[in-house]
Amino acid sequence: MIDTFALALGHGLLAVAMMRLVLREGLDVDPLLDDIKSETSGNRKAASALGRNEARRARSEQGAETGEGAQ
Amino acid sequence: MKDLFFLVFIAYVMLLGLRRPFLWVLLYVYIDILAPQRIGYSIITTLPMSLIAFAAAFGGWLALDRKEGARFTLRQGLMLGLLGYCWWTTGNADFPLDAQTKWDWVWKALLFAIFLPLTLTTRARLEGLALSLVLSVAMIVIATGLKVVTGGGGYGELNFFVDDNSGIYESSTLATVAIGLIPLLWWFVKHGTIFPKHWTVTVFAAALTFSALLVPIGTEARTGLLCIAALAVLLLRYSKQRILFIAGAGVLGLTALPFLPQSYYDRMATIAEPGGDESASTRVAVWNWTLDYVQTKPMGGGFDAYRANKFTYTMPVKKTDGNTTTVTYQEVEDKARAYHSSVFEMLGEQGWPGLGMWLLLHLTGLWQMERIQRRFKKAEDETTRWIAPLAAALQMGTVIYIVGALFQGIAYQPVMLMLVGLQIGLNTYCLRIDSARGLLERSAARKAAVAGQMRGAVAA
Repeated sequence: MIDTFALALGHGLLAVAMMRLVLREGLDVDPLLDDIKSETSGNRKAASALGRNEARRARSEQGAETGEGAQ
Repeated sequence: MKDLFFLVFIAYVMLLGLRRPFLWVLLYVYIDILAPQRIGYSIITTLPMSLIAFAAAFGGWLALDRKEGARFTLRQGLMLGLLGYCWWTTGNADFPLDAQTKWDWVWKALLFAIFLPLTLTTRARLEGLALSLVLSVAMIVIATGLKVVTGGGGYGELNFFVDDNSGIYESSTLATVAIGLIPLLWWFVKHGTIFPKHWTVTVFAAALTFSALLVPIGTEARTGLLCIAALAVLLLRYSKQRILFIAGAGVLGLTALPFLPQSYYDRMATIAEPGGDESASTRVAVWNWTLDYVQTKPMGGGFDAYRANKFTYTMPVKKTDGNTTTVTYQEVEDKARAYHSSVFEMLGEQGWPGLGMWLLLHLTGLWQMERIQRRFKKAEDETTRWIAPLAAALQMGTVIYIVGALFQGIAYQPVMLMLVGLQIGLNTYCLRIDSARGLLERSAARKAAVAGQMRGAVAA
């Protein structure tokens, strides 16, 4: 009787825990690490976009200066 | 009926694992600890449950898991080294047949402990493994606690689910494991997310703690009492009101005393008088024999090398006749006595190299858990504040295990090796957080620097 009770209680709790784990989004991909990575990736993209813009601006300014010099 | 019950549960987890293969890892943990194939009576006893679960766990990880963040660490390397060394000593063992029998389960326990951290890549997985460990042990502990409360108990008299005195179903081992998991149990009460904070969780944890404390009492395992003492000392570190804690523990202990049976007092009295008990007397004799043995065989004699021991010693024998108790001293001859200590088990079987690897494995675990506690002690956000308390719980579990292991041959206890796997998983997870945050800081600095350059260029 005691054994049956202990086994039933333990298995019941394990069954609920397993079901909750299956339904949980963070089981295979960690939300914290995923957030940090997304933010890092966003910063990198922003930095490279800013870098590209600045390079473009620098090129166009250089082009304008060369054009003025030729006149 | 029991067989059907177990098979339905195993089939249920196998089915859930089709969606999340990590659940097969938890299934192996459950089967390895509880051993339903040894509890059942008919069909389940004929099925290779452990093999099926391990194949599913490993195959699922290999074929279907993302494996992102899976790293092979120094402590896994230590276990791999120990596994290789055990294989070598088994091939050169003093008692090849007995050594082979022990090797057959040791290599599986070590291999699973090496594999386990590779799967523990997220917080949910760390928690899932810890919960499966606690609940699987809890079933045995609850049954034991209830039997003690309802009048059962006594040294070697308590019936577990499996009555073969092996693995976790050995009374001292169960007492050590049960006490060692108490800190982890209370971590769930405060930081659990699978079963979040709720009064029912607290009541369950309190009842399970009570049951765990009853295991050493019901089984009259002396090692269990030492483990309880170790737990009390360890808890002092985390107690904000230490004087109150000491007073409370004292009152609790004194209140429990009248409820303990005389047989319990008699058995515990032998802790202070090892000469009065055969089991305790032989320990010292076996330990001395082991020290002599490794002088001639420093590389160890392989599993079960203790079978070579043989010694005589004098011990008192009490005889009670009416009101008179007479004590006579008899010479006892003993042979092939087990080590009764994991330190001497490792030393005798695997020699100094094996003992060194085993000690290093656990000492590095204590150090890593200490480092994590200090690193994340002040973390307050929900995503990381659970880390330091988990490291503390795992550290306490290891210390209690080591205290228990000093007096039992449980060097390769699978539950404790799983605890090592959990520690490695937590350490790797923390290193990944630090590494990811480092990259985030660098990317933010780079972004700010580029933005600064832009502003400078526009201003010019």
